[in-house]
Amino acid sequence: MNSAKQLVLYFLFALLCVFIFAPEIMAAEPIVIGVPTSTGFLEGKECLNAAQLAVEEINAKGGVAVGNQKRLFKIEAIDIRDAAPGVPVPEALLGIEKLILSKKPAALVIGPFRSEALLASMDLIAKYKIPLLGTIAMTPATEAKIKKNPQKYKYIFRPCLNAKYLVQYLAGTMGFIKKQYGFDKVYIMNQDVAWARKTAEIITKVYFEKAGWTVVGQESYPTGTTDFSSTLLKVRAKKVQVILPIFDMPQSGILVKQWNAMKIPSLMAGFISPLAGPGAWNTFDGKIAGAMNSIFEVGSAISSSKVAPSTAFEQAYAKRWGKPLEAGHGPAPSYESVHILAEAIERAGSLDADAIVAELEKTDRQGVMGRIKFDEGHQVVYGMNPEESAVAAVFQWTADGGRTIVFPTALAEGKIVLPEGLAPAK
Amino acid sequence: MLAGTIIYALINSAILAMIAMGFNLTFGISGVANFAYGAFYVLAAYGVWILIHMAGLPYAAAVVISIGLTTLAGALMYRLVLIRVKGQALSEVIATFGIGLVILELFRYLGFVGFEYTLPVLSDKSLIIAGTYVDMQRILIVVLTAALVSGLWLFTHHTSLGLAFRGIAQDERTALTFGMDPDRIATLAVSIGAALAAVAAVIIVPLGSISPEEGYDVLIKALAVCIIGGLGSTGGVILASFLIGFAERFTDSYIGSHWTMIVSLAALLAVLVLKPSGLFGKQKELEERI
Repeated sequence: MNSAKQLVLYFLFALLCVFIFAPEIMAAEPIVIGVPTSTGFLEGKECLNAAQLAVEEINAKGGVAVGNQKRLFKIEAIDIRDAAPGVPVPEALLGIEKLILSKKPAALVIGPFRSEALLASMDLIAKYKIPLLGTIAMTPATEAKIKKNPQKYKYIFRPCLNAKYLVQYLAGTMGFIKKQYGFDKVYIMNQDVAWARKTAEIITKVYFEKAGWTVVGQESYPTGTTDFSSTLLKVRAKKVQVILPIFDMPQSGILVKQWNAMKIPSLMAGFISPLAGPGAWNTFDGKIAGAMNSIFEVGSAISSSKVAPSTAFEQAYAKRWGKPLEAGHGPAPSYESVHILAEAIERAGSLDADAIVAELEKTDRQGVMGRIKFDEGHQVVYGMNPEESAVAAVFQWTADGGRTIVFPTALAEGKIVLPEGLAPAK
Repeated sequence: MLAGTIIYALINSAILAMIAMGFNLTFGISGVANFAYGAFYVLAAYGVWILIHMAGLPYAAAVVISIGLTTLAGALMYRLVLIRVKGQALSEVIATFGIGLVILELFRYLGFVGFEYTLPVLSDKSLIIAGTYVDMQRILIVVLTAALVSGLWLFTHHTSLGLAFRGIAQDERTALTFGMDPDRIATLAVSIGAALAAVAAVIIVPLGSISPEEGYDVLIKALAVCIIGGLGSTGGVILASFLIGFAERFTDSYIGSHWTMIVSLAALLAVLVLKPSGLFGKQKELEERI
């Protein structure tokens, strides 16, 4: 055989090898899930852990079927530090873009903490056409953008609670309290940041003013405030029945400690982020009995026996990471995001972003948070019945350091206990 | 409600006085404006937390060791850094601010951020004073502040080291002729200032939680109180603490809580415009000398 013919034969043989073996070589490549979030903060850390747990569960079963191949998931995380004070949004966006360009993820989960960072990242996500399942930032403005320009922003989904649903749950809790005890005087105490001020404003307008409540006062506290005595004295003097706190700063646990120490005869019911997990009892010296707190998604920091997957997730997390969940917002939807993504990829049969998005929109599964379905704004629908929608939970700390879910009624495990000195109004 | 507001205003004043005392002592004796003061406060708090939760030490031992280590940190800062830029005010400020930034941001980088970083209270009881429930920890702060102020006064007026401090503060050159070593005195002043920051942290932090941001807040409060009262004047610090403490609490009660932050900063601005040396300040602006 002359050398030219030999060369052609060798070339054809090499080409044959590529076609035969390439699928197997490519199948060894894991599917990268990018996690751009503030991993130095509690919610970021626990969300990442929850996503990792889901990845390990899926990989233990052989991975995700993409067409006729099974591929494993792999998480690549980057700390974008957007939750740290003073970090500019562009710096967070740089981190997201770095992750996308260097690790080439098929999708992103968790996402930024701050709503302004998420909103700013929407154009970046649209540019690179990568599905994002956000589980921390809560602004409904993302849904408005998606509905206005679905073709561009269709890649963004939110499995966690948004601010509108938060107001709905807080209003629902207040309505439940009014129905049970006849209370109608409330004092709103919120953190002096945009999301908390807006929540206070909206709940006053859409609920309190229409439902016959008297909002005796409303105070905004700068982040870092450590003395709430003035307002608590006012609450006592004006015989306010319910205090609605709206805080996520670490110092907000002091409010409940002071409420306890000053023996204010008012029910404390709202959202105080540091009081979510079981560790709060020791952190605040056991001085938080009687306080009611909201968990944004069942499964995050608290599970319900009426939502079996939430209990299974809680136990699996504690077993894997050696400690219980403390963050009341983010971990459950982060865990679910990976499973939702896996199912969507399998239905799509490919890693094409548009195909994945089309399947994400069809998601309908019973998960840790209840029934998970997206609306037209790509927001998971939250309601009061886990059989029909995802659910949040409101619990009350008991005198022995336990937590009893008291709302919604579909999950309730016990009744609300009123503080000493406060009697029902009916 | 008025009685309650007055009681909590007194407590707030004591907290401010305790926070500012160490900064005031350091500046009054050594002339060093220690911008790492807030960092020492946070360092002591995290030190106690780490010794309790990671080293498993009992609370009392953790407090003593942490105060000791913070005192040592102050001494090292003077001996290794500040002694080389002594007399250059701007360099001293930049150096101490830089050291403070490193300490605070190192804690943030290492992940010491979260709700779990709290210190236990000394007593979880409450007392009723003038019809108002007050927790014991806050009462202890007032008592300890009074004890520290008295103790500092006795120290500076009735001990040889305290008299040396005052001598150096009055006239360093003359004090040199009496055999007082200004560097040794300055080291001690910075160390004791750091120790006072540590004591303040141990007694005040249990009211809330530990975070790197607390270091910046403490520095701003200490600066505001000392500048309003007059840098180097203990009487001025106490008066300024009461003025700001009462103004903040009454603003919170009768105007609005989101205005309280502005109170100390507005007072600071007013003093700088009207009497830059502060209420009892010893430095005199040219206009004040004439």
